[in-house]
Amino acid sequence: MQRGLSLESSKSPENLRRERINRVFARAVIVPTALALALIAVLILDTLYDTISVQVVEVTETSGKSFPLGQAWNAEQVIRLELLAQGLPEEEVNRLMADPEEMRIFGLRNRVELMWATQEGPLRWVVSSIDDERVSNYSLLEGLRRWNELKAGLQENQQLRLNPWLDYSFLNRDPSRNPISAGLRVALFGTLWLLTMTLLLSVPIGVGTAIYLEEYAPKNALTRFIEINLRNLAGVPSIVFGLLGLAVFVRGMNLGPTLAAAALTMALLIMPTITIAAREALRAVPDSVRLAAYALGATKWQTISRVVIPATIPGIATGVILAAARAIGEAAPLLLVGAAAYVAFVPQGPMSEYTVLPVQIYLWISANLSEFANTAAAGIIVLLLTLAGLYALAFWVRRRFRVEW
Amino acid sequence: MSTSSQNANSWANKHPGKSLSERLIGTGLFILATISVLTTAAVIVVLFSETFQFFRQVPLTEFLFAPEWTPLFADPRYGIGALLAGTFLFTGIGLVVAIPLGLMTAAYLSEYAPFEQSVRVKGIMELLEGVPTVVFGYFALLFVTPILQSLIPGLNLFNPISAGLVLGFAILPYISNVASDAMMAVPRSLREAAYALGATKFEVVTRVVFPAAISGIVAAILLATSRAVGETMIAAIAAGQRPLLTLDPRETIATMTSYIVQAATGDQPAGSLASRALFSVGATLFMFTLTFNILAQRVVERYRERYE
Amino acid sequence: MVQEIAIGHQTVRREPVPAEEAVVQVQNLSLFYGKHQALYNVSINFPRNKITAIIGPSGCGKSTLLRSLNRMNDLVPGVRLEGKVIYEGIDIYDPQVDPVEVRRHIGMVFQKPNPFPKSIFENVAFGLRLQGQKAGLEQAVQRALERAALYEEVKDKLGEVALRLSGGQQQRLCIARAIATEPPLLLLDEPTSALDPIATERIEELLLELKKRFSLVIVTHNMQQAARIADRTAFMHLGVLIEEGPTNEIFTVPRDPRTEAYVTGRFG
Repeated sequence: MQRGLSLESSKSPENLRRERINRVFARAVIVPTALALALIAVLILDTLYDTISVQVVEVTETSGKSFPLGQAWNAEQVIRLELLAQGLPEEEVNRLMADPEEMRIFGLRNRVELMWATQEGPLRWVVSSIDDERVSNYSLLEGLRRWNELKAGLQENQQLRLNPWLDYSFLNRDPSRNPISAGLRVALFGTLWLLTMTLLLSVPIGVGTAIYLEEYAPKNALTRFIEINLRNLAGVPSIVFGLLGLAVFVRGMNLGPTLAAAALTMALLIMPTITIAAREALRAVPDSVRLAAYALGATKWQTISRVVIPATIPGIATGVILAAARAIGEAAPLLLVGAAAYVAFVPQGPMSEYTVLPVQIYLWISANLSEFANTAAAGIIVLLLTLAGLYALAFWVRRRFRVEW
Repeated sequence: MSTSSQNANSWANKHPGKSLSERLIGTGLFILATISVLTTAAVIVVLFSETFQFFRQVPLTEFLFAPEWTPLFADPRYGIGALLAGTFLFTGIGLVVAIPLGLMTAAYLSEYAPFEQSVRVKGIMELLEGVPTVVFGYFALLFVTPILQSLIPGLNLFNPISAGLVLGFAILPYISNVASDAMMAVPRSLREAAYALGATKFEVVTRVVFPAAISGIVAAILLATSRAVGETMIAAIAAGQRPLLTLDPRETIATMTSYIVQAATGDQPAGSLASRALFSVGATLFMFTLTFNILAQRVVERYRERYE
Repeated sequence: MVQEIAIGHQTVRREPVPAEEAVVQVQNLSLFYGKHQALYNVSINFPRNKITAIIGPSGCGKSTLLRSLNRMNDLVPGVRLEGKVIYEGIDIYDPQVDPVEVRRHIGMVFQKPNPFPKSIFENVAFGLRLQGQKAGLEQAVQRALERAALYEEVKDKLGEVALRLSGGQQQRLCIARAIATEPPLLLLDEPTSALDPIATERIEELLLELKKRFSLVIVTHNMQQAARIADRTAFMHLGVLIEEGPTNEIFTVPRDPRTEAYVTGRFG
């Protein structure tokens, strides 16, 4: 087949078609990334959106009044106003407010909130009781659209409000079966406890394993076996670690559904991640530096502990932070080792019962009550902010302390 | 100079070789390194001893062929098929989403993106990887499902379609990372040969780079499958916890993982048959993911041999 | 001719350094990496307070010989060694001797500058700290940096990370680090091969200064360098020490045709 090079042949229908496909594909390859970015954006926006709802509340226990910002500046002043509005005499109010036990009970049964909008106006304090009956809970847009209609339809003792679920008091409230007074405090402390204990266990094991494999291990079948095993362990689904923890730590070692059992489980789960990061950091240290230390008369361990490890700390720290981020978001294995139980108190020690952020979120999602979707959304925002903080920290450590050989 | 050992003077150390503490450190580190092996051993022992106990009470034929999985009912049935069907639907839909998107992202990263752009794309993939799956589950149930319900008649609130869709994005980074590495490893000379024959970039990518990187791509898909099969929270939240032997994706189903969550949030005493059934599901899950992981490693090793 | 160069295992005898003037005596040293023999029956005395250069084409075993003087070869798996290396009356390969201890007494500087990712001060103090010294570190570090002709340039930034220094400065820092513990013998493995001519000149000046206090053995691929600074020169080829003697004799009246071929630039 003889064909000369000509402008016509390069513009043949066949070639034009190929060219078109080529151009379309070159544009299309970016689409999945755009979709992924859109998904993340929509996810965050939708969750933020879900942290606000419009509620109609039937007030039975509280005064049903709201107080403008300015009349009161903090929760204590609001409580005073509320108690006075309920018709208690001034001395009685003073006595109640001076009694910490009374205040604790008040705090458990009521929630003081600065509402963005109420039927009486924006930015007003509202005290709601867990016994107040919430007539309806609307999503933000629907609630705002029907704001006037709802306001007109309010009956006596009913309040209309724009409820921001995510605020400081949300972080500070104990869990509750009632969404209005449910908060993250216990889960936050549980996460902090669990993370600390997990890292204390897994960092020495993970880094030690990495040092052994990179610096000590002879090239033999056993070493290869350990390496293959580590790779496979990293691929075991986290829920299987939960079964392991349930059988060995909760039941076998009789630790029960405690922080200790959870920390042991999580330590085994994230250990491979830490080992892999630490090995990479160790491999980045050039051999010439090790030789320099040996030439100065350092023993093997002196070389490792005084030269190699200090040089790898930024790399290892980054890896540990990323592993911590993974641990913080992990819910599945913890459901099996006790985090799913209803826990009303902040953990006091390793043998305490506990719950953690993602498990609390899961429990709220699976609760059949639309308002718990709002608390779950608020919890998710807190979880994502925590993770964002950790990722930023890892990024900063990597930038700031990286050793340029 | 045979006197050296007698007049070993000020500087020559009397104890040669490694000192005791040096050797202890080496041994200590070795012991730490064996913890990972012990962990694997413990996983296997725990899963299979309980499963063994399970099969002493439940015949294997019941496990394989019974049409229902209802260990907590008064009249319990133990047909793993119901859970496998659910897992298949959930994972399958996830892969249908993740494979094309992941491969296109990989092609973009290795063939099209300028450097800064590829850094950004990798950042987005890391972001996707960093989102806790409980958050994805929430998103699937409360955002995706309502939209799909208005499009697909008869779609249950808990269904594998929306869960699988979101799962697809959750495992997308695994596919794009491994596949783009494999595609970048394809020698430049192959591409140049194809260009020299008058191929367009699209033809180079689809007919030269993809086939040359096929083992890496297969490994990427296998790894992602393993992740998907083991993915728990998205399934537990959005796909449902009701074991059902069906291939209708509009139904509420249960995956192996979501059943484990359901059973775990209830309370079953150790040693009960229900608890053993739980571990038998765990063992099945473990076998599946391990198989996919080992297959992936095999495939990767083969392609390393080819290009290194 | 070429054939002849390749097969001879014979060393040309010249007047060796007398044993009492030698800081290290190498006696019949052969070294094997697994099955491959890298050194053939090498015997040489390195003189005190002099610079001895070891030259030869790449792969001739000059670095291997240098590294057997402080037992750095021990770190390579599968190394086997025959013969003796006598330092201060002791065979450093005697089974009673700890190689780590040997390296504390013999300093070494490498081809590429390899400072630790620590501060300048901590780099120089490293050897001292290893030996348990706690007091007087400042003075010792300052002294070492002065001897390495680096102190004036870095005295205001001793706390800075050493990796920020220029290549030549890094190499002088490595020399300072090696001499901080005052090792009688300093081994240098092509110390200027990674440096520019100006930095090289500074290092060479420094080495001439250092020989007043230390004995130096330098491996170099640069014959001009050997001619400029070395008192004695040893020529190696294919693991064999061909010829060793006063530098000017080696370069002007080589006795072995292989030496002549090398120093006149006909191979290498």
